[in-house]
Amino acid sequence: MTDDPAVRVEALEALLVEKGLVDPALVDDVIAHYETNVGPLNGAKVVARAWAEPAFHDRLLADGTAAIAEMGYGGAEGHLLIAVENTPAVHNVVVCTLCSCYPWPVLGLPPRWYKSPEYRSRMVAQPRAVLAEMGLELADDVRVRVWDSSAEARYMVVPERPAGTEGLGLEELERLVTRDAMIGVARALAPDA
Amino acid sequence: MPDAIADDLAANVSPPRDNGEIVFAAPWERRAFGLTVALCRTQRCDWEAFRQRLIARVAEDERRSYWASWAAALEDVLETADAVDPAELDALARAYAGRPAGHDHD
Repeated sequence: MTDDPAVRVEALEALLVEKGLVDPALVDDVIAHYETNVGPLNGAKVVARAWAEPAFHDRLLADGTAAIAEMGYGGAEGHLLIAVENTPAVHNVVVCTLCSCYPWPVLGLPPRWYKSPEYRSRMVAQPRAVLAEMGLELADDVRVRVWDSSAEARYMVVPERPAGTEGLGLEELERLVTRDAMIGVARALAPDA
Repeated sequence: MPDAIADDLAANVSPPRDNGEIVFAAPWERRAFGLTVALCRTQRCDWEAFRQRLIARVAEDERRSYWASWAAALEDVLETADAVDPAELDALARAYAGRPAGHDHD
């Protein structure tokens, strides 16, 4: 079958290489970069610093793109980054209803479920139910805000700092921040978890 | 060996709440991704034009796999930009598809 994407992608790359339009070594570099260098750890460092440094926290919420650039993150695929903060009264969750926009520079590549039609459509219509299915129960009085990523803006969630973390350093705090907490489908981990 | 790696990746996809999930299930998905980003970095492909095609391809068939929509969208932008001739691509893909067994397609 010539509509087999594996074959078509292979043919496409071969044509592009033959025409000198792409360097296969650059393709390898891009893949290695995203698979190994960029991951949710970048985002975890951003969140830990925001928890620990009030001035950075304020800069991050005021201008996410500039704040992550301070830490060396960003770039062509980053576009505009907006950080939204969870509080006892408000829970934020991120989705991209149209495709798969995602803050790559801080979270790496999106997980499989983020791209699924179920997540994309249901998170907007029934966020509480979807969050509960993913293991996050929210009290009835917590307001849920769903942020739909787009070409203009990509969102990351700054989860609530867990209780009992007052004495922790940045590296210990980073370990509590999961990718899912920064998408908004989980809380940050408790320090004894 | 490549098949073994692909099987291993497919079998070890972590549960959704695991922080370290493998995002590509097959080598061609990884390749389609890397190719797109490499083309955009070298200005051979416009990221926003690609994204619009991806939105259209995803909407066209929600049952198609995400990376298959991605690959179709990449073909779309390259054909629109006249970087790739659709007939030439079809011919090469047909030739690849006709190769003897040993390649991972059915």
